[in-house]
Amino acid sequence: MPRADSCQSRSLYIPRDATILSVTELTSREKLFRLRLSDGSELKHLPGQFIQLSILGYGEAPISVASPPTRQGYFELGIRRVGSLTTAMHALKRGDKVGIRGPYGTPFDLGSMGGKDLLLISGGCGLAPMRSLIQYAADRKSEFGRVTILYGARSPDQLLFREDLDKWETISGFACSYTVDSREGDGCYSGSTGLITDLIRPIELSPAETEAVIVGPPAMYTPVIAALKEKGLSSQQISLSLERQMRCGVGKCGHCSIEHLYCCQDGPVFRLNVIEHLHGAL
Amino acid sequence: MQRALTVCPYCGTGCMLHLVSDSGRLVGVEPSATHPVNRGSLCIKGWNAFAFVAHPERLTRPLIRKNGALVPAGWDEALERVVTGIRAVQGTSGKDSVMFAASAKATNEENFLLMKLARRVFGTNNIDHCARLCHSSTVTGLVQMFGSGAMTNSIDCFDKSDLIFVIGSNTTEQHPLIGTRIMNAVRRGTKLIVADNRCIRLSRHADLHLRHKNGSDVPLLSAMMQTIVSEGLADTEFISARTENYGALVESLAGWSPEMAASITGLAAEEIVQAARMFAGARSAMIVYAMGITQHSHGVDNVRCCANLAMLTGNIGRPGTGVNPLRGQNNVQGACDMGALPDMYSGYQRAADPDVRSKFALAWGGEPLPDTPGLPLTLAMNAAHSGSIRAMFIMGENPILSDPDQGHARAALERLDLLVVQDIFLTETARMADVVLPAACYAEKDGTFTSTERRVQLLRKACDPPGDARPDWQIIAALAKSAGYSGMEYNGTAEIMEEISRLSPIYGGISHDRLTPYGLQWPCPDHNHPGTPILHVKGFSRGVGRFMPVAYRGPAEIPDKEYPLTLTTGRTYFHWHTGSMTRRSHLLEREEREGFVEVNPADAGRINLRDGESVVVSSRRGKVFVRARLTEIVPEGVLFMPFHFAENAANALTNNVLDQESHIPEFKICAVRMERVP
Amino acid sequence: MKRLTQDELLQFLKSWETCYDLRVPILLPDGGRAICRLADGPLAMHGGSVPAKPTSLFFPQDGLVFAAGANGYLERVDTEKRLFIIGLTPTDLQCLRFIDRFFSTGERDDLYFASRDKAIIAVVSGYCGRDGEFIPPSSGSCDLELYHDGIDWLLMPYSDEGRELAASFNAGDEVVSLESVHGKAVHPPSAEQEVVLAAAAILQETELPDAFWDEIGEHCIQCSGCNLTCPTCTCFGVQDWCYGEHTERRRVWDSCQLAGFMREAGGHNPLATAGQRSRRRIHHKLVADMSRWGEIGCFVCGRCDLACPTGIGIIAVSREIVTRFGMPDDNSKRD
Ligand SMILES: Cc1cc2nc3c(=O)[nH]c(=O)nc-3n(C[C@H](O)[C@H](O)[C@H](O)COP(=O)(O)OP(=O)(O)OC[C@H]3O[C@@H](n4cnc5c(N)ncnc54)[C@H](O)[C@@H]3O)c2cc1C
Ligand code: SF4
Ligand code: SF4
Ligand code: FES
Repeated sequence: MPRADSCQSRSLYIPRDATILSVTELTSREKLFRLRLSDGSELKHLPGQFIQLSILGYGEAPISVASPPTRQGYFELGIRRVGSLTTAMHALKRGDKVGIRGPYGTPFDLGSMGGKDLLLISGGCGLAPMRSLIQYAADRKSEFGRVTILYGARSPDQLLFREDLDKWETISGFACSYTVDSREGDGCYSGSTGLITDLIRPIELSPAETEAVIVGPPAMYTPVIAALKEKGLSSQQISLSLERQMRCGVGKCGHCSIEHLYCCQDGPVFRLNVIEHLHGAL
Repeated sequence: MQRALTVCPYCGTGCMLHLVSDSGRLVGVEPSATHPVNRGSLCIKGWNAFAFVAHPERLTRPLIRKNGALVPAGWDEALERVVTGIRAVQGTSGKDSVMFAASAKATNEENFLLMKLARRVFGTNNIDHCARLCHSSTVTGLVQMFGSGAMTNSIDCFDKSDLIFVIGSNTTEQHPLIGTRIMNAVRRGTKLIVADNRCIRLSRHADLHLRHKNGSDVPLLSAMMQTIVSEGLADTEFISARTENYGALVESLAGWSPEMAASITGLAAEEIVQAARMFAGARSAMIVYAMGITQHSHGVDNVRCCANLAMLTGNIGRPGTGVNPLRGQNNVQGACDMGALPDMYSGYQRAADPDVRSKFALAWGGEPLPDTPGLPLTLAMNAAHSGSIRAMFIMGENPILSDPDQGHARAALERLDLLVVQDIFLTETARMADVVLPAACYAEKDGTFTSTERRVQLLRKACDPPGDARPDWQIIAALAKSAGYSGMEYNGTAEIMEEISRLSPIYGGISHDRLTPYGLQWPCPDHNHPGTPILHVKGFSRGVGRFMPVAYRGPAEIPDKEYPLTLTTGRTYFHWHTGSMTRRSHLLEREEREGFVEVNPADAGRINLRDGESVVVSSRRGKVFVRARLTEIVPEGVLFMPFHFAENAANALTNNVLDQESHIPEFKICAVRMERVP
Repeated sequence: MKRLTQDELLQFLKSWETCYDLRVPILLPDGGRAICRLADGPLAMHGGSVPAKPTSLFFPQDGLVFAAGANGYLERVDTEKRLFIIGLTPTDLQCLRFIDRFFSTGERDDLYFASRDKAIIAVVSGYCGRDGEFIPPSSGSCDLELYHDGIDWLLMPYSDEGRELAASFNAGDEVVSLESVHGKAVHPPSAEQEVVLAAAAILQETELPDAFWDEIGEHCIQCSGCNLTCPTCTCFGVQDWCYGEHTERRRVWDSCQLAGFMREAGGHNPLATAGQRSRRRIHHKLVADMSRWGEIGCFVCGRCDLACPTGIGIIAVSREIVTRFGMPDDNSKRD
């Protein structure tokens, strides 16, 4: 029989306080929040991990950390306004407090990425978690080979982190291109239009030396995976981050299960070979 | 953890469940494992019946409008305001300038008391409730033909029938546990005919699915009967022994060849013939219907056709047969039984009958009771609009969302001198009130509910009401006292039931102590009577069954150039009526967060509409923004919208045209137009 | 071990009411049974497992996660009396063990263990099942066992705590061991257990056609009853309620049979059809749990089959699977 001593430590489900340091509008739907844990400690996350963001009265939502652990003193969250909690979050401003649990979940496999070329493909809101990895790689450039960033959004006004995208372009050893499905809403947009897979085709890569990462909306995975395999990448070389409805983040609520796996614990970052045969994973 | 055995607060199926509580707070639900109706199961609403009870938005104190705003007040002040307000209106505009709306969500005891309050204390027959909007056609039609307006058979009969004919009832969504009985029966070999132009779940289990046009029930049923008569399939023995006026029926059917009906219903003539043969050929066949039959400007005619068909084939008075209107609300049957009707006292005793009035007058202290006829709810709304009703007392109803033509209902309530709303949440209607009285919900009180199969069942208190909220019966009794009437002091709801059973023969043998565990089915005339699972077994309640010929009339509003689509309205599985409880229940709200309109892909294609995009649906009365759901469930040319959602209120569109006999509105059909939101 | 008459048993139970938060099977007004306090109704030891799932004693359908006031999170008040639960069956105990492991693996669910850890558990077995049916005794992984030999209750302590409790009650004759009473009988698996195991074997081998699951899904009315009664179902949703400055975060049992269970904010739904949800319900127990925990997650307690209004509980579906997809005798491959 399991028995524990009577002393109760802090509950697994009680968040820690974090303070909003700044809020930046990214698009009409997305904002970037910079936060710090109110006790001054670091979040101690790794790229690819998420936190459970809590606002009393509105519940919780999983949000990927959009900044790398290499940048200390704060962490960032890029949040799209879609429902009750995210709307409440968008109403907050500098100095307001929110709750944070985590970091939770599996990070990108930095170990096996070491020394490799990185092909980082994201779509829509998926650039937020990817940004953590990109900035990490920028901060520790010597640990990686070439870094190629591909990003697709619906329309020009929905492109996230445009300044970052332009900045990454200029880093030596980094290549960055983005595309939009349609020009609608921005007559001045001069970048490319088309599907994300159109960006993959022209890329030259050495299959054995490459690790690819995909983060984006569910509809993106199948075509992108097909394009990467055409390029000679195997399932072991492709990682992806899956989104599920998550309620607890700690493998208890059951909402995020994929067959025998829990996306919040065994993921959200998976190697493709681990999940491609699982019913309903992709 | 404590358990209180009580009755589900949602539909009329009458499932019983245990409310589980811990230190006075509800923490869950457990189905009654032994109950003959639900047998250890519940539907999703039942499983979540605890969820809204402790909601932070529950009303906890009386509210009074002062300088335009609702502000908290004490009970004495609130009651005083109600009584003086009603008296003032009656003083200037007459006794019948006040309307009382009882509630199909309140207990029998409470409805009885409100009926007594209206008639005895305030001297008016103006009392009615939402049955006007759902089954008034049933009561009107079946009382004339059978002598009783209730479901003739029991839920158990679904297990004993050879053929079930479901017309105008989305049973698996609206009476889920009856729906599952039907599905299970089909698996055991019972034949199923579904007549509904939407592809509801039952239609996918049916042996025959008739997608007749909205509003063409009379032609369909008439042609079925004509086929039965002409092919010699009628039960002549039953007809001659137990019925009258058969000749008139046969005469009226003369023109209804299957081909004739086919041209109106959009069905193939063979389908109608097949339905007729299947129905007449079954040893026992049940007709099951709900709002799809009743909510029409010819609702009573639809009901008559159903009753004619049942008698024609001898399907009355035996297990597995009957005319079975499924009552929507958990206590709509009871509210009718209790005489929350403008023309009836409890037990369907006619208010127009002087003997009835003097019997009640004698029991209630001698003073004569009003003899002017009362107003049905729908007409009262019109009267409020035109100014002859000046005050309304509404117990547990939300007409702003539930009545047809929202603009009209709102304007009507705005014109009142006094609006009193007694409810558990500040509903859309309560927001407009001058006085709001906070009530206890079903989990916080005792009393009885009567289910669709006439089963009177006991609810038991599981927790205390929040703040100063009180059970409706205590509020009504306190109002009576404030008004100076001393004949409404009860020590508990059991005492009220004693009075009900003394005064109402069909409840004559019903008392709280006889209702454990599973209640009793009325008629139950005396204390030794075991209750009546099946009506009209030996004779009809009125002696012999009376056939009533019906002439076909189309719907009041049909599609035209300007409004080319037909809108039909209803409910969804996860929500209840105006959503004041279900939309505050976590899981139910999560499942269906906003309104929607079902659109056939062909109609969507014409305006390049994609699934999930928003549209404006407009009728001659209003317009609504709502998200489209592309689905083959609805046929081309027909839209379906649920009416639960205040943000996309279907009843802003519906047509407030009434059946002339039952005064039920035509919720099921109006003409609309749909445009994409750019 | 002690032998107690029914009266002595009642005395035994009453003697513990002051020290423990005692829960026993009682008779409900509708003739059903539930594990409640002695004061809530007449003791009803006979009848087998109660309809409510055993974990509901520690993890209610709607339970507090935490409360917060104007000045931050409020301390959790754990009841001072320990739970002493009587009336679970050996099958219930297996389910509980499964869930204990689930809640303690990885991050430990302190809400569940707040009351679970300290609970004392006494199972019932012997001739006290539904209609006097025999319940095979447990393997002893509880504090106490109450074995009904058809006349009396044999009280068998297993843990130290169980021994202490038994010793402190001085009535009843000593009996040597449970074995001396009911023998070394081996209890073969029931027909239901066999069919569920057979279905599990089939599912672990083969992916059934979608049409099969769609057919099951067509009968599912999304009542959630199967999940809400299943002793190894633990899924929950979270909701916040604000009463002025006082906020409560609560967790509420959820059901994978509901379309909204996995629907993401972006609209994507990995379990979009009733067929997929039915597949998940059965697969999760019979295949996924096997992969994750090394044993299937169904202990054939029968609760979902009782709760399901349309007859598609796990035993019924297993029967379908075995009938339609079971291997013919000659071991040849299925199509
Ligand atoms: C691992 C992981 C990482 C993630 N990272 C990020 C991230 O970095 N950034 C990010 O933005 N998101 C991220 N998400 C997604 C994010 O968790 C969801 O967007 C979030 O949970 C939505 O929460 P909510 O309370 O705002 O929405 P909910 O209220 O739960 O709304 C869900 C849906 O319901 C609809 N809805 C909401 N309210 C209403 C209403 N009142 N009426 C009608 N419809 C309504 C919404 O349109 C939405 O489609 C991540 C998810 C996962 C699993
Ligand atoms: S079928 Fe009706 S009475 Fe039964 S649980 Fe569902 S809503 Fe309640
Ligand atoms: S109990 Fe049956 S009907 Fe209800 S959700 Fe489960 S499988 Fe579906
Ligand atoms: S989010 Fe709760 S189990 Fe994964």
